[in-house]
Order: sequence, then C-alpha cells, then structure tokens
Amino acid sequence: MSNLLKKPAVRWGALVVLVALAVVLPLMLPEVANDTIARICVFAVAVLGLNVVMGYGGQVSLGQIFFLGLGSYVTAYGATNDWNIVLTFLAALVLPAIAGLVIALAAARLGGLAIAMVTIALPIVGLPLARRLDHWTGGSQGLSSRFSDAPEWTGLYHDQWQLYIVLVIAVVTFVLVRNFVRGKFGRALAIVKENEAVASSMGISPYWYKVLSFTIASMVGGISGFMYMSVVQYTSPETLAFHHSITLLAAMVVGGSATLAGSVIGGVYFVFVPVLTNAINPNLTAMLQGAILLLVLFLLPGGLASLPRRIAGLRRSSGSRPGAPPREEAATRAVQKAASKQPTRKADQ
Amino acid sequence: MGTFIQLLIDGLSTGSIYAALALAIVLVHQATGMVNFAQGAMAVLSGYIAYSLLGVGLPLIGAIIGAVVISFFVGALIERLLIRRFERGDEHTAVVVTIGLLTLITGICAWFWSYNNQLFPSLFPNQTIPVFGASVSLRSLGTIIVILVIMGLLQLLFVGTKLGLALRAVSINQQSAAFAGMPVGRLLMVGWGLASALGAVAGVLVAPQLTLTPGMMDTALVYALAAVILGGLSSPIGVVAAAGIIGVLENLAAVYVPFIGHDLKVAVPFLLIFVVLILRPQGLFGRKAVVRV
Amino acid sequence: MPLLELEGVTASYDSVQVLDGVSLSVPERGAVGVLGANGAGKTTTLRAITGVVRAGGSIRFDGRDIRGLRPDQVAALGIAHVPEGRGTLGDLSVRDNLRVGAYLGKDKAGIARDIDYCLELFPQLRERVKSNGSALSGGEQQMLAVARAFMAKPRLLLLDEASLGLAPSTAKNVYQAIRRLREESGIAMLVVEQNANLAFSLVDSATVLETGRSVLTGPTEELRAMDEIRRAYLGG
Repeated sequence: MSNLLKKPAVRWGALVVLVALAVVLPLMLPEVANDTIARICVFAVAVLGLNVVMGYGGQVSLGQIFFLGLGSYVTAYGATNDWNIVLTFLAALVLPAIAGLVIALAAARLGGLAIAMVTIALPIVGLPLARRLDHWTGGSQGLSSRFSDAPEWTGLYHDQWQLYIVLVIAVVTFVLVRNFVRGKFGRALAIVKENEAVASSMGISPYWYKVLSFTIASMVGGISGFMYMSVVQYTSPETLAFHHSITLLAAMVVGGSATLAGSVIGGVYFVFVPVLTNAINPNLTAMLQGAILLLVLFLLPGGLASLPRRIAGLRRSSGSRPGAPPREEAATRAVQKAASKQPTRKADQ
Repeated sequence: MGTFIQLLIDGLSTGSIYAALALAIVLVHQATGMVNFAQGAMAVLSGYIAYSLLGVGLPLIGAIIGAVVISFFVGALIERLLIRRFERGDEHTAVVVTIGLLTLITGICAWFWSYNNQLFPSLFPNQTIPVFGASVSLRSLGTIIVILVIMGLLQLLFVGTKLGLALRAVSINQQSAAFAGMPVGRLLMVGWGLASALGAVAGVLVAPQLTLTPGMMDTALVYALAAVILGGLSSPIGVVAAAGIIGVLENLAAVYVPFIGHDLKVAVPFLLIFVVLILRPQGLFGRKAVVRV
Repeated sequence: MPLLELEGVTASYDSVQVLDGVSLSVPERGAVGVLGANGAGKTTTLRAITGVVRAGGSIRFDGRDIRGLRPDQVAALGIAHVPEGRGTLGDLSVRDNLRVGAYLGKDKAGIARDIDYCLELFPQLRERVKSNGSALSGGEQQMLAVARAFMAKPRLLLLDEASLGLAPSTAKNVYQAIRRLREESGIAMLVVEQNANLAFSLVDSATVLETGRSVLTGPTEELRAMDEIRRAYLGG
C-alpha cells in the first residue's frame, strides 16, 4: 500500500481528485455541511498553529485560543471600519504574531515549563480584557460583521463562497507550515525539542527557536481567527474562554501531535466533540473530555493520526527474529542510553 | 491608612491561599518532576468532599479534617494509578496529562455537584477586629494563621522526621534512595498525598468567599503558577514570599489603579513577572539551572 | 554456601543483550573483583543483582533467588550498592546523607555510633560534615557513598567503579579506607573496577568479563601472574 502511494503518478492523480472534490463538493452539499466543513478548516488551522509550538516545538501552550480570538477581533474591527480586506487579513495575522513574539521573548527565557505556566494566563486575562476594552471589542456583546458574503459575479451562495475562501487559506497555510517543519528550521526545532543542551552545543539556540515557533503559532492562530470571523461572522469574549483553550489542546493531542493529518483530525474533534458531549449531558462534558484526553495519552500517545502506524507496527512485530549477540559498541551505547534514563534528579528550573 | 492595612491583610489572606497551592505544586515537582496543572482542581474536589461531609451531618471542623484526610489518599492514588507512567518521561507530556486530569476532575465535580454555586460555611465568624486603627477581617487573619501553621508543620515534617528525610532523598535521587532501602513508590504517593492535603486546606478556606463551583480555583491556579515562576521551582520559601507579594499587590492594584480594577487584577502578577524576568531570568529566588550533556 | 552466587546471568536493555552468561560467587566475608573493558557488562552485573535491570539466569543471595525484587527490597536483605557516579544526595548535608544510608536501621543510638565510625574512617568527611553533598570533591563524594552504604550495615557491598574520575592518589586513599572497612567489619564485597591494580589490592579473587560473559575466574595471585591479564589490564 505504501509503495503504491510513493509512485508520482498515483500522487498526482490523488491530488487532482482532491482538488476536483474541493471544487465540486461545496456546490453540491447543503449549507449546513458547507458550514461544518468550513468550521473544521478554521480549527484545523488553529490546531496546526498549536502544533508548531507544542507538537513540533515541544512547548506546552495554553494560549492558542487567545491568538484565534485576537485575530477574530482584529478582523471584526477591520471589517466594521471598512478596511481593505487584504489589509484586514494582514492585520489579523501580524498583530497576534507581535503579541506572541513579545510574550515568547519573556517566557522562553525561563526555560522548562514557563511557557505553559504563562500561557495559561492568556485566556484567563484575555476574557475580562476583551470585556473591558469595549470601545474596540464591543464588550460583552461582542462584534458581528458580515464581510464574507459572496460577490455578485460569482453566482455562489454565501456558505459556498466562505467555504472556498477558508479552504484556500487553510491549504496555503498547511503547505507553508509543512515546508517550514520539513525544512532546515523544522529540523533544528526538532533537535531543540529532543534535547536543548545538545541543540546548544550544535549552535542552535533553544531560546530563539522557542520564540520563533511561538510567534509562528500565534500568527497561524491569527489566521484562524480571520477564518473564524469569515465563517461565524461574530466574535465575543466567549471565543477565548479557558475551556476552549483546553479543548483545543485536547484536539491536538487526540488528533495527533506533530502531524499535519492530526491537525485536521483535531479540527474535526473541536467542532464535533463538545457538541456531542453536550448533547449527552451538559454536566458530563468536561468529564468526558478529560477522560478522552487521558485515554489517548495512555493508550495512543501519538493520537489518532498514529493509528495506521501502530497497526502496521503490531503486524510487523509478530514476526520478528531474536536479536543476535551484540557488538561491543552497541552494548555500550545501550548501557549509556539506559544510564542516562536513570532517575537522578534533573537540574532545577 | 486604615484602608491600606485592610487591603494588606486581605491581600495576605488571598496570598496565603496562593502560597498553599503554589507550595503544593512545588512539592509535587520536587517529588515527581512535573508541574501539576490539576492542583487547583484537586483542591476544589476537596472542597466539594467537605461540602458533602457537611451534608451528611458532620460538624464543620470534622468535615474539613475528613476532607483533608480523604484528599491525602486521593492524591496518593492519583500518583499511583495515573501519574506514575509519565514520571520518568518528557515533562511536557506529563503536564498535558495533568491538564487532562484537571479537565476530568472539574468534570467530576460538575457531574456530582453541578455547575451551580454552592455555599460553604467559614471556620471563622464574619467579624472584624481593630488592628492599628483599621477594621481587619477575622476571616482573613484566620486564613493567614491556619495556612502559616500548616506550612510550619510541613516544614517540621520535612526537616525533623525520618519520613521527611526519605521524602527529600527521593526527590533528589530516586536510585540512591532505593539503594538505601527506601520504598520509592510509596514515598512518591505520600508526596502527592501531602500536596493534595495542602491543597484541600486552601480549598476549604477559600470556598466560603468564592462559593463552591467546579472552576473555583482556576484563577487561583494562575496566581499560584505566577508565584512558582517568580519564586522558582526549587525554592519553597521564595514561592511563598512571591505568593504573598502577589496577593497584596493585586489587591492594592485593584483598588488604587482604576484601569486595572477587580476584573483585570489577574494581569498584575504577569506584569510583575515581565519586569522581574528582564532583571533576573531565573526568578527571584531560584538557582540557575546547570545541565550536563 | 556462598553468600552471593550468580549462574548464567543474562540481561538486556531494549533489544540489546548486554549480559550473556555471567557466573561468579562471593563467599561470606570474601571480596571478589569484576574486571573487564568498557562495555563488557560489569556495571550491568551489579544492576542485575540489585534489581535495577531485569535479569535471566540465577542470582542467589544466602541461597535465596533474588531476581525480580525491587532495589529497596534487595537493600533490605543486606546488599548495599554504591553506584557508578556515586549517587550523592547533593542537596543534603553529609550528615543527612549518612542518615539516609541508615534508613533501615531502628536503633538511634547505634546509628549515631555508626556515623561517628564513618567520620573516623573517613576524616575528610568529618571536616565537611555540615556541607552539602554537592560541595564535596569527587574523592570525598566517593567516600561519602561508601560510608552511606556502610550505614545500612550490609552483609554484602557492591562497589561500582570506585576509582572513576579520581586522581590516582585519591583513588588509592579511597581503596585503603575500603580495605580497612573490610578488615574491621568483615563485610563481603563485590568490586567492579577498571583499574585492575587497585582491584587486586582489595580482593581475594576476580572474574573477567568480556562482552557479557565470564571468561576467566581465579584467585588474585594467579590472575596477576597471567600474561594476558598483565598485557590487557596491568599495562604489560
């Protein structure tokens, strides 16, 4: 199967099919379906952003929803004040990026779990802040704005046009992030995630890479905020509530951290699971979500995206040969690796 | 001047709650090497346990002691059953596990006791006493004293008893502790149990003022984490001092700085962190980390 | 019956087999060395005894199979392990380090006496008794590690690379103190040591490991005289 996927002809063929589907389906599906797919795109991009800093970068962040919220507010403000749409989009990605940069410059200095401990404040401070700055944000009422209606010349319904827009933005964002994580920067980031001391000794600065990944995550968060506003057409302080922050993190983990497919699955999770658990019993929602997150961490730490790999691995291991006697270097390496896992106390933060 | 003293004492009172939570976080980190984001939620669960014990007819002091004891065992069980798997691994994964725990525990509280605010009685009468010409809340004073006493007892445990020595040894080098015959697993459970009990004290002391609701300690957790950042994970004294300062400053800022007010005062500790960080990256009291490759 | 007996012991880390048939025995009050090159499995052998690493084959202490026991359970049986790297409890004082070693003891007065004995055996430690473990030099930390192990009043002491990272004269001092400890207390010892000369100054017999297997065993005088040993481990 995997050999088949490697053939260029098959890949190009699959790409053509996907593009065709993406063009045709919105025209055929009902409004509700288009709206749902659009929302999935929004949160897939949000989870993708979180993956950059947390999945690929290894830094727990509880603040991603804040950047989505900020992006949505900037978009709403710009649209309400009749800014040029391209300008609005740029503002929606630049302002959160700047905010993320400033926060990361301070938090990354501390090392360890500081980014996690600081970002938890973002939704918790963000919500009252959004209420307070009502001149810009509309206070508790929030801001609504219809700027993403389909132009006359397209002959499309609004939901179709919105879906195309967010699909395009999502695809472009995914491609850009994919190139980033597979390129030089992504490889350096992976080393930082694996072992900061080793990265330093190679001349890769953990500090700057954490700042970089956090800024990119914030920027992508802002983009998802723009997309959010395009689809939902309303934002309020509730958008960046703390429990959404946790759902986003759970979505990333359940989907599959540090994978692109996992980000998409995460988008699906974010859109469907809270609604489903609420339908079962609103008081049960948090408990179910917590249980799901813990189950995934225990049983399938790579998330749903790692399921194919796990199944393949299980099939492979049932036919393994017993290991041959080792050469000395392999033995020494194994001993050293085990010795480095010894539970001596880590250095303090 | 009177208002200032009142705010000071009230600030120290909330600060002592943050200090208890922060100390619990430090305790867990020293024992098992992770930051427990669920520490606040566990304290809330303790509050609800006390609430239920009250419901079955126990007197307030009995319900509180009962809740503290039960919380000890709950904390120990959580370490054994949920956390043990993740202790030797990546600390970021461990944190995500505690976030899952936070959601689960909040959810359990919501399911059993609903999202409605429940009233919880205070140990101390709702009176004020004159201190240096100001009317100071008895509840605030009581909270400060109780938490200081508990922290003092903990310190005594750690420094003066064999169990305390064992707990300290396990947090420094688990292998050496095991080689000396210390039952490492059981001691880790005790560490989590003590942290959980400490959180329970904070929970029952703050519940009268905030009213019991599943998210009651979410904001307190944020303050506690800020105190941990400022004080440094390796310094219990630093963390307690930082928590006190945060409590006082946020209270003063809420009243004397109109823009901040009561809803934005949660930003105060982070402004503080920004300022401190620029001057001392390792926190106020922490040590610079040295990592050997 | 030997105090400690290993027969055909095997052990692996992940999928790499490190021990592939180690056999040795330590008599009551005896001292046996474990020699071999880097990566031969010497440290792993000790780890297998204390239960840090899961092992196959037979490991008997006092006739009893101790495989599968946790390290703290093995310690309670009377085996004290001085690990490679010393395992100093850096944030605790020297005195507290010793008290940790005495964790299993119940007699307060006896523990106080033992602490005094250790400080007398290792005078450098007495000077630093209030310092934190992390402030001690390498040699002092090694002595502290041995003293900590002694505080448990073990019947068998496992010493892992006691000379590692120490200047030759310091290593000699440490071994002299360990020799005295052995003479005065009669504790049996299993000594892993890369420096064969130092090992031979302490042990009655030794076993040589090569890629996880015991290839040569014999009394000290015999091994010392052998050409191969001289060339491989004693510098010709």
